[in-house]
Amino acid sequence: MSILIDDSTRVIVQGITGRIGSAQTHWMLEYGTKVLGGVTPGKGGMTVEGLPVFDSVADAVKETGANASVFFVPAPGVLDAFLETIEAGIKLIVVVPEHIPVKDVVKMRNYAIEKGVFALGPTTPGILVPGKGKMGIMPASLFAPGRVGIISRSGTLSYEFAGILSENNVGQSTVVGMGADPVVLRNLADILELFEEDTDTDAVIIVGEVGGEQEEKAAGFISRRMSKPVAAYIAGKYSPQGKRMGHAGAIVRGTSGTVKGKHEALRAAGVHVLESPIHVAQWAKKHKLR
Amino acid sequence: MRLHEYEALDIFEQNRIPVPRRGVANTMHEALDIAGEIGYPVILKAQVLVGGRGLAGGIKTASSPDELKDIADSLLSSEIKGLSVRKILVCEKLEIEKELYLGITIDGYSGKPVIVVSTEGGVLIEETARTSPEKIAAIHIDPSFGYYPYQARGLLKMLGLKQQLVTAWSEIIGRLFNIVLRYESLIAEINPLAVLPNGGLFAVDAVLEVDNSALSRIRMPLPDRIDRIENPLERRGREIGVTYVDLDGDIGIISSGAGLGMASMDIIGKHMKPANFLETGGGITADQLYRCMELVMMKPNLRAIFINIYGGINPIHEGAKGVVRYIKEHKLKIPVVAKALGNRQEETWEIFRSAGVHVVVEAATEKAVDKLYELVKQ
Repeated sequence: MSILIDDSTRVIVQGITGRIGSAQTHWMLEYGTKVLGGVTPGKGGMTVEGLPVFDSVADAVKETGANASVFFVPAPGVLDAFLETIEAGIKLIVVVPEHIPVKDVVKMRNYAIEKGVFALGPTTPGILVPGKGKMGIMPASLFAPGRVGIISRSGTLSYEFAGILSENNVGQSTVVGMGADPVVLRNLADILELFEEDTDTDAVIIVGEVGGEQEEKAAGFISRRMSKPVAAYIAGKYSPQGKRMGHAGAIVRGTSGTVKGKHEALRAAGVHVLESPIHVAQWAKKHKLR
Repeated sequence: MRLHEYEALDIFEQNRIPVPRRGVANTMHEALDIAGEIGYPVILKAQVLVGGRGLAGGIKTASSPDELKDIADSLLSSEIKGLSVRKILVCEKLEIEKELYLGITIDGYSGKPVIVVSTEGGVLIEETARTSPEKIAAIHIDPSFGYYPYQARGLLKMLGLKQQLVTAWSEIIGRLFNIVLRYESLIAEINPLAVLPNGGLFAVDAVLEVDNSALSRIRMPLPDRIDRIENPLERRGREIGVTYVDLDGDIGIISSGAGLGMASMDIIGKHMKPANFLETGGGITADQLYRCMELVMMKPNLRAIFINIYGGINPIHEGAKGVVRYIKEHKLKIPVVAKALGNRQEETWEIFRSAGVHVVVEAATEKAVDKLYELVKQ
């Protein structure tokens, strides 16, 4: 099938009355996503793209039976909207906005995990299941149905990899943006696990970048648990090293977060490391992926 | 936003963390006056926002006014890791018995604040963490539970310390944690945390980085974020709401995402040299890309401009209008290569082509960089 989005996914859009919220609702509907309504407090009763707008998430859930939500809420209001969404019983949340304070993300992440809610972001392009539906901002033209999963820390690079695969007649089962912030709502290994269990995914591509330790931790998961082929590209080989101050992060991680360090960890876990994005086409051909 | 040591020390002092007597000087004469009040010997510390400052020669001791004059003059005309020294901190020199380490940061993987302590503070702390992990202790704080002093006491007990030190140190941990909360810090660090002969603890250095995304709601007074960016091009980038990093090559880059920008640099870097990194984020408009072109062109001797943008959240057709307006108004002579895919891509390509931009319609950035290389070689 796919991961995270399937035929039973019923989506609401939070911040649907905003400029970006309404434009993206249009694209999501056009792609065939089951978007059933939206929420903007104080704007209940309006319609956007023919969909009803509600004042609260609870109202939207009651009226539409929604079980998933995508956020186009301004950054300062995201924490509040997120907690409201969890209280309303929604189990899948995609947080598209950027520039959300880390303190808020920390609270959101821990609360979502405690309540068994699967959340992605912040600063994520969302999720797209080719030919089926999407939650977020991924531009549909680059994707094609198939059996390769993609997980990306970068939004734009998730499009790039899907685009390269599609041009080479290799489709995707699901494309997931995990978000680009220093703290994300779900870690890379959690998403890998979903792909490992998905019977319609034959292989997975990780698109990572310099910094943090998501890829290093994922390497541990891959060597313990993954049976499917995994390829990885890490952006930032020639990026200037930040003028880092303070040591606490490096001490806690015990890793450098460099491209080289990530390559080594991933190779040791049996992952095929891609030196340049275009090489993904040869890798897919070698594994006869489609 | 990173704060200078002198700014962070002021905040630490306001929060009752003991700090040395000190003053910040813009000139040698100011340094001389401050040292006169504090009394010799004093420590002179270059105020630059970069780690590893001590090992790079940015921290010196002066025992007399003559010595201070020489050191202050040389520090104030020096560069440390590429940053010019504009201010020096003049500090009382304390008699230090032992150097400890205390840091608080947000652990990205667990998504929780973490407090890190060590009995072996100083510049080699990361090496200590690798070679003698038993000298380091750390505890994660559950954000819904919050921080309580017993957690700090328990943490310090793990290092096998005497009760007197545990009591004094755990108080400082509590105060630093309070700073982290009030200033929404991504990192707060005291290294070294000095133990004096009388058992007192002093923050001899201070690192504080405030979350940029939280600046508008932090109620404490903070210095201006844009003023402190030294590089004029990077400062201009911040003013127009994009991330710009100045580099030493001659290919200008405009990208609509950090990952895509880094990948573009990686690919361009094989045969050419990027002049900059520029990432627009999700805010592209015609005006924004016009200003991005202005900014990229502020760099002298560019050989080409490479534009790599996706229309997911961004209206790339609007962005293309801004680029084309710049090219026409300035009669731009150097080649511009654009890869722009996603929503309204065909319209975007037409706009770009109307000003002679070389449009590449394949997804792989490598193909667009091949085109760029071909044009640059001509």
